[in-house]
Amino acid sequence: MWWNRKTTTAIKDQPASGVPNAPGPARFLDPEVLARIGSLELLARAVVEGFMSGLHRSPFTGFSTEFTEYRQYNPGDDLRYLDWRLLARTDRYFIKKYRADTNTQCHILIDTSASMRYSQAGRISKLQYAKFLAASLAYLLNRQQDAVGIVAFDQHIHTHVPARSRTGHMRTIFGQLSLLEAGGETRLAESLHELAELLTRRGIVVLISDFYDQTDRLQSAFQHLRFRGHDLMAFQVLDKNEIDFDFDDPILLLEDSETNEQMPVLPDVVMGGYRARMREHIDGMRTCAAANRVDYELITTDQPLDHALFSFLSRRVGK
Amino acid sequence: MWFLSPLFWLGIAAVAAPILVHLVRRTRARKVEFPALTFVRQVPQRTIRRRTLRNLLLLILRCLAILLIVIAFTRPFFSRRSAAKDSGSAGATVVLIDSSLSMRREQMFAAAVQRAGTIIDEARNDERLALIGFGKRYEVISRFTADKARLHATLKSLAVSWEGTDYEQALRGAESLFGELKTAGPRRIVLISDFQASGWNQAKATFKLSSDIQLQTFDVGGNNPAANVAVTRVDAHGLVFGQKYLENLSVQVGNFGDTPRDRLAIDFQINDQTVEKREVSLNASETKVVEFTGFNLTEGANRCVVEVGSGDFPADNKFYFTIRRDAPAKALIVESASRGRSDSFYLQSALSLNDALPFSFTVKSAGGVDPSGVAENSLVILNDAGPLSGALSESLKKFVEAGGQLIVSAGPHTDANSFNEPLRTILPVSLGDAVQTKPGEGLALTNIKFDHPIFEIFRESGRLAAARVFGYLRSDAKSNANVLARFEDGSPALVEANAGKGRVLLFTSSLGPSWNDLALTPLYLPFVHQMIRYAGSREEGSWYGLGQTFRVAKESKGDPPAVDSPDGVRLTENRLTPDGDLLITGRQPGFYRLRYPQHPDFAAVDLDAAEGDFTKLDFGAFMTGVTGGSGNVEGREANRQFSNEEIENRQKVWWPLLFLALLLLITESLLAQRIKLAKVVG
Repeated sequence: MWWNRKTTTAIKDQPASGVPNAPGPARFLDPEVLARIGSLELLARAVVEGFMSGLHRSPFTGFSTEFTEYRQYNPGDDLRYLDWRLLARTDRYFIKKYRADTNTQCHILIDTSASMRYSQAGRISKLQYAKFLAASLAYLLNRQQDAVGIVAFDQHIHTHVPARSRTGHMRTIFGQLSLLEAGGETRLAESLHELAELLTRRGIVVLISDFYDQTDRLQSAFQHLRFRGHDLMAFQVLDKNEIDFDFDDPILLLEDSETNEQMPVLPDVVMGGYRARMREHIDGMRTCAAANRVDYELITTDQPLDHALFSFLSRRVGK
Repeated sequence: MWFLSPLFWLGIAAVAAPILVHLVRRTRARKVEFPALTFVRQVPQRTIRRRTLRNLLLLILRCLAILLIVIAFTRPFFSRRSAAKDSGSAGATVVLIDSSLSMRREQMFAAAVQRAGTIIDEARNDERLALIGFGKRYEVISRFTADKARLHATLKSLAVSWEGTDYEQALRGAESLFGELKTAGPRRIVLISDFQASGWNQAKATFKLSSDIQLQTFDVGGNNPAANVAVTRVDAHGLVFGQKYLENLSVQVGNFGDTPRDRLAIDFQINDQTVEKREVSLNASETKVVEFTGFNLTEGANRCVVEVGSGDFPADNKFYFTIRRDAPAKALIVESASRGRSDSFYLQSALSLNDALPFSFTVKSAGGVDPSGVAENSLVILNDAGPLSGALSESLKKFVEAGGQLIVSAGPHTDANSFNEPLRTILPVSLGDAVQTKPGEGLALTNIKFDHPIFEIFRESGRLAAARVFGYLRSDAKSNANVLARFEDGSPALVEANAGKGRVLLFTSSLGPSWNDLALTPLYLPFVHQMIRYAGSREEGSWYGLGQTFRVAKESKGDPPAVDSPDGVRLTENRLTPDGDLLITGRQPGFYRLRYPQHPDFAAVDLDAAEGDFTKLDFGAFMTGVTGGSGNVEGREANRQFSNEEIENRQKVWWPLLFLALLLLITESLLAQRIKLAKVVG
């Protein structure tokens, strides 16, 4: 019905984890609230600590060494893992197997093209949201002793902070994040190809962008990254109005963020067609991501950050 | 195209409102930076263009609707005014001013005179004008002249009359007036009236204006028919012979309005004294009859007035009539000298039952009648009188030729020969042998003239055929005779003929039971009474219509009396008949006083009842009728002129304009709603 059309016609993309935008600690993860915190370090800490304290019993204890099984010693095995006590008792050679005993390297890629500057009145921009998300993820990973690095790009890579696991490294990351400004054109596929060549060591790649590029071009870029052995996760950050195209004005003069091209538009006339095409694009993105085993998540800038964190952690379980 | 209220064109500024709104809203298009313009661009532009077109269409619809409303308020009309007014020769104009009774309403006559004055003022200096006032008849009050001052002066002398309306007469008069012109040029008739329907009888209209005459009309009567209640007719005997009025006096009261009228007071006055009051309620357009009877009358003339208590148009609320109470005249019944019951027994019995008959009767046998005394009577009835003496026959001839009334009825004692020769010059038939039917067989009356006063009361019942006749005198009607009824075998039954100044009425059967059973039936009484009344010839009308001429009999000295009009003015008319009677035409409702020295008399004059009906004329039919068009209204329009108000009123262009504006607004609303719905559904 027309009076609730916004709820029925808007594209739904609720968190897969089922974590609601609940009151309580989650309230502190609201992007609007976080935007008032000047320091990204404080923001990341608030987000992660608040997020963690909101969980009664965290199932995510990190990637610390953990015994899994014994196996027969084979020549060439590292003697460090030989169970000497067992050898003493039984005179037999067994190797103790551990799980995830290596540190993960994670790169957070942030799209800073001009299209990321968009924000509807009163809300934070997509780039701001991306920076909050990147800071929170970096903090979370660092807390788990993983190496974190960031890469920012528009049509080219312009910022690169290599992955480190030191605690002091976070200041570098937060500092670089806070300096990011939106501008330049979107050439996402080319930038991802470039990054695939740059990131030689296998690891986790978290891509934060609005993904305004053709999906077939993105597909080859995803394949490239996957080929390099990266575990890829894509956060598509959009403003809610980019999905709904809900304007009160009878007529608008729309200006393209990147090309400055202007176009007069009757919102009520265009709305239906626009929504269909945006839905097609998002569906295409989701299909493309699934085809390349990329974890895909659509996030709007009015959603709390814990949604993204939950999504991230839940997808890391078992990997 | 012309406009009655051009000032409303100022309202055209309102058209700017939607345009301004449109422009203002256009300039307020907000510039918004939007990253996903590529998806917007993919939306088919034709949708946007269609919407833009729709918005433009909405704007046009709104502007057009406002424009139409504004034009409607300016009251436009299409004028077909002839260019002759502005070019060419001046021509001649006859101004017809309705001065009938209905123009007494409100200020209609004053408005008509004012309009005529305006026409005089607006006429070109070399245009010649004539003025005619009209009601039932027309009166040329000024012949063709270009002297405006004279025309104005003449116009002032025109007064409203009491007459009804006859447009045909007026137009005839106007057209005939053009015959006085010796120069060519446009000819125009300007008709100023309230255009009452009663003024023109479409069914009987025969007159058509010449095609070279333009007709221009001015309606000063307004559009709404005024309510009016009037006394439209009174049926009364103008002459009675008893103190009491025993028959029914019927008064017709009509409501010409569209609304019912309750409890209207009817006041019946005789000689300025109220005799009886009644109340009557009338529905819209209803006529009712109120009857009065049993009231007393004084000797001589009685002035009677019936007045309806209605607040509207008082002129026709009163109806005037007179009833004269006279002594009955002498009448002689002559019968045969027979033993036993008189043969006139049935006749006498019948006559004695009615006091209202205009005669007092004396019965004598044929031998007992003094021939010299016959002339003292007004009526003589020879009822199976038997053979007549020569002296009696001679006196009867003189009696009839001097104006006496003679009724002859046959019977077993009637000798045809004693009638045929001595009374040959006055009898309507030549009498033959007596005819007797077979026992048990009888003849009925046929070929009865029911429109004759004697038989008109039998028209509805037709019961006269029930009487059976067993015997009659065969007869041959003379050329001057009028056979009022025949027997079944074709022989005349009742015949009349004028002789000298008198009249003879002959019934070839008997007025007793000798030759028929008429006297034994209920038909006998009315039949005899009707014959006596007819023979009496003293029935007088109780009132005259306005414009009707009535005779005022001269005095015994030989001079007619002086006559005063209802408003007390002594009339100076001296139109006399060959007998020396005065002829007066009633021009005013009320009582005309006839100043006889011994016994003052009155004549009542009443208005034309139809004039009280203010229903509007069917203008289209009227124009068709008087201009002789072939039914093509448009074609006829070119031949005449109307005032701007009339043209606009007839064309009513504002109606379709407003209707169209309404349609446009509805369309606009539906279109706007559809756009809004499309937006909501998304």
